[in-house]
Amino acid sequence: MSMRHDINAPILQVVGLSVRFETPLGLVHAADDVAFDIYEMETLALVGETGCGKSVVASAIMQLLPGNAVVEGKALFSKMDLLKLEEKEISRVRGNEISIIFQNPSLSLNPIIEVGEQIAEPLQVHRKMARRESHQVAKGFLSRLGLGERSLMRMYPFQFSGGMNQRVMIATSMILSPKIIIADEPTKGLDRALARDVTSEIEKIMDLTGASLLLITHDISLAAMISDRIAVMYCGEIVEMGKCKDVLREPLHPYTCALLDCLPERGFKPIAGASPSMIDPPQGCKFHPRCPYKTQECMQKQRIRKIDGDERQVRCWQY
Amino acid sequence: MAGDFNRVASCKATEWAKILRLDMRGLRIALFGLLLFLTIFILAAFSDIFAPYDPWNRFEPFLAPCREHILGTNDLGNDILSELIYGSRVSLIVGFGAALMATLIGTLIGLFAGYFRGLMDETLMGITDVFLMIPQIPLIIILAAFLRPSFWLVALIMGALWWTSTARVVRSKAMQIRETSFIECSRSLGFSHMHIIFSDILPNILHVIMPKFLLTIASAMISEASISFLGLGDPTMKSWGMMINFAFTRGGFINGYWWWYLPPGLCITLSVLSLVLMGFSLEEREEETMRIE
Amino acid sequence: MTFSGKKAIRYFLAIILIFSLNFAIPRAMPGDPLANLLGEDVMLTEESIAELRAKMGLDLPLHEQFLAYWRDIFSFDLGYSYHLHSPVSAIILSRMKWTLLLAIPSLILGAILGTFLGALAGWKSRDAGQKFETGLVLMIYCTPPYFLSLLFLYALSFKLGLFPLKGFYSTGSALDIAHHLMLPVIVMTLFSLSRNYMIMRGSVIQERGNLYAAYARAKGLYGEEILFRHIFKNAILPIITLLALDFGFILSGALFIEIVFSMNGMGNLIYDALLSRDYPVLQGSFLVITVMVVSANLLADLLYSRIDPRVRWQ
Ligand SMILES: Nc1ncnc2c1ncn2[C@@H]1O[C@H](COP(=O)(O)OP(=O)(O)O)[C@@H](O)[C@H]1O
Ligand SMILES: [Mg+2]
Repeated sequence: MSMRHDINAPILQVVGLSVRFETPLGLVHAADDVAFDIYEMETLALVGETGCGKSVVASAIMQLLPGNAVVEGKALFSKMDLLKLEEKEISRVRGNEISIIFQNPSLSLNPIIEVGEQIAEPLQVHRKMARRESHQVAKGFLSRLGLGERSLMRMYPFQFSGGMNQRVMIATSMILSPKIIIADEPTKGLDRALARDVTSEIEKIMDLTGASLLLITHDISLAAMISDRIAVMYCGEIVEMGKCKDVLREPLHPYTCALLDCLPERGFKPIAGASPSMIDPPQGCKFHPRCPYKTQECMQKQRIRKIDGDERQVRCWQY
Repeated sequence: MAGDFNRVASCKATEWAKILRLDMRGLRIALFGLLLFLTIFILAAFSDIFAPYDPWNRFEPFLAPCREHILGTNDLGNDILSELIYGSRVSLIVGFGAALMATLIGTLIGLFAGYFRGLMDETLMGITDVFLMIPQIPLIIILAAFLRPSFWLVALIMGALWWTSTARVVRSKAMQIRETSFIECSRSLGFSHMHIIFSDILPNILHVIMPKFLLTIASAMISEASISFLGLGDPTMKSWGMMINFAFTRGGFINGYWWWYLPPGLCITLSVLSLVLMGFSLEEREEETMRIE
Repeated sequence: MTFSGKKAIRYFLAIILIFSLNFAIPRAMPGDPLANLLGEDVMLTEESIAELRAKMGLDLPLHEQFLAYWRDIFSFDLGYSYHLHSPVSAIILSRMKWTLLLAIPSLILGAILGTFLGALAGWKSRDAGQKFETGLVLMIYCTPPYFLSLLFLYALSFKLGLFPLKGFYSTGSALDIAHHLMLPVIVMTLFSLSRNYMIMRGSVIQERGNLYAAYARAKGLYGEEILFRHIFKNAILPIITLLALDFGFILSGALFIEIVFSMNGMGNLIYDALLSRDYPVLQGSFLVITVMVVSANLLADLLYSRIDPRVRWQ
């Protein structure tokens, strides 16, 4: 896969994104000072354990968070700050220029609307296309994903398997050729063979539409397969970011190392200690309670170290 | 989630205030309902203190509101304000009596259906569906017509008819709880079914029974008012529905004596409202906490 | 057994049970069953009483009476009213049309307005204007329909003179009937609206938290588009049966509204029968209302299974 991003300007720039939720138990710090760029036609993988705030970041960019969320920071996209747009304005971006594939396809699709109509809906909403015409287009997209049979258009999500629903979501997300597609755990809950199918379909779309992909996953091996760059998240923060090859070959942050050691081919070593609470996160580096290399500094402050210009960065005192 | 509870202890005081305010949001309305209800309850409990006269005492009939009779007098010369205050009693007694009985039946049927399932569930829910379809007000009218009205009878009939929605809710909740590991545990320890139902499951569904209970009181009150309006109320007790009936049939309405029928009507609306506000907001809270879990 | 088979049995049982209850009531109640069946204050000589007792089969064993009861029902014989000197079925038939004239437009209007306004109220439940509207509807919800009728009658007919005071018609022309019906229909619509509104509002509040609603927003749908394209149908499906169950209660409301507006329908028939203890009329009305309520529920069940694909495809 090419590295065209060196020459292009980023199409999405996320700067200092913080998300907090007000809950009866206290403030949940779900994302803290998150920053990354996405370049044209590249795939950026956001990896981290379940609950570290990946989905929250995706939803924040699309302004899809519930009312109890307090969002700070910027998400610059074609000269707009997505986080400051009015609901009416952001609704023109959603599904049209940036589309998202939710984590749970079977619950995300409307249970009582035919899948054909659900795929065609963005055409009707954004392009004001007539129903019949939009269904034609939708059918074309479905058959490209291997669901060509005519009758499938008139089926309901409950008649489909999880994998088929996943493809319906993929077709819906690409039908307007958006600039960015966000895929939230596209392979979660699928068996290995299905996951491979879905992965190759996602790659196919990227080639087809020329869209950039923000791939959200807890599965490092998936990220390794299809992404150009990787951002590793821990407890609401991006702790390390860089080219996929570099990060996997030579991980810098102790958390990235620990995460890689969890992989089956590296011996399944679990990370010592428990994930911290997001209501009352540790001071300084959030990983310090579990870190074998912690020093006095780690417990008080954080530092972001940039290597090779902006190519590589790591949130750790060791470097 | 459980781990997070320990963290609450370290929360700062300012955040506590926020937490309290957040939690109050659903309850403010319920609290308003409670206040309204308590007012009515106190009026009913101490009618003899609050009422200026004995409601059966006769003064000059058809008096307009004046200093001695703030809401005037009716066709028989009874003081309307005193009637109004005493009228709260029937409303509350019938409401509570009917709701107590309905809730008891509904809870039992729901618990048994949800816990035992299978044939028991089919049968009990079949009965519930049949009961749901009985046109209740017409049936109450017929029975009250045959039996010569008394307020405990009306309460009894309503209680025997109105357990269905409670039964449905309790059943689905009992089914959920039955599947939890904690009940599995009780079962494997060899506790009897009855023990599990009443000491393990029941305490865990009281919070869904409560709003249903309140809403059943409201339904019973509004129906009692309707039955009394038809003249089927207990003739030995003053009731709001009956006051409106008299105002309507004995010229109070035609002559525009609003003080005769407006206050009892408002009393019915307000007391039903107080219960509905509490019931609805408790139900909504219940749904919200379910979502957070 | 299939889902609908089970349902059918329940409807059948409901009808059998309620009709049997109707058979049992006059025979089980205190007093002479003959009086309970004829109505009170019916003046009759000794001989004619004995004759009637034989004619009505009251000297037969109970199970034969029960069979005869069902035979009568299947031939639409609901007894004879000695107060009105007419067969009960004929009386009910002539009165029912007026009740339906009041109830049907109000039920339809109330269902449409109630579900739409309720859906909007649930969608924007945090909006201050909506809260005010919900408060108003809640007041109506908590008011007995007869009192609501009195209020409207007082304000609009007495004070403002906009509507006639009572009855279905004075000249009998369609326009005149419509003028007389207007106010009761408004009251009845408000009453049925308030109940549908509260149910629908709750359902939308529950549905809008589902993931598919968030996904609709993520696809670029805006505001009410999400409500009407995605949530409305999902919210109304689970409550179609609930709305139908409420039908009995709403219909009872119509009876009270009629009484206040002195309209010549079922409500006043029942009211007058109550005053004169005309039991055959009371019982006949009860049966007819039961049949209507059960049919409404059956209809709702059928409708539900037609529009919910998950049931249709089972
Ligand atoms: N609406 C919400 N209210 C409170 N906390 C939330 C809410 N949504 C998410 N969170 C919290 O934010 C954190 C991150 O969640 P999420 O982004 O879904 O994780 P993941 O990395 O698995 O996608 C979790 O701890 C979760 O409990
Ligand atoms: Mg996630």
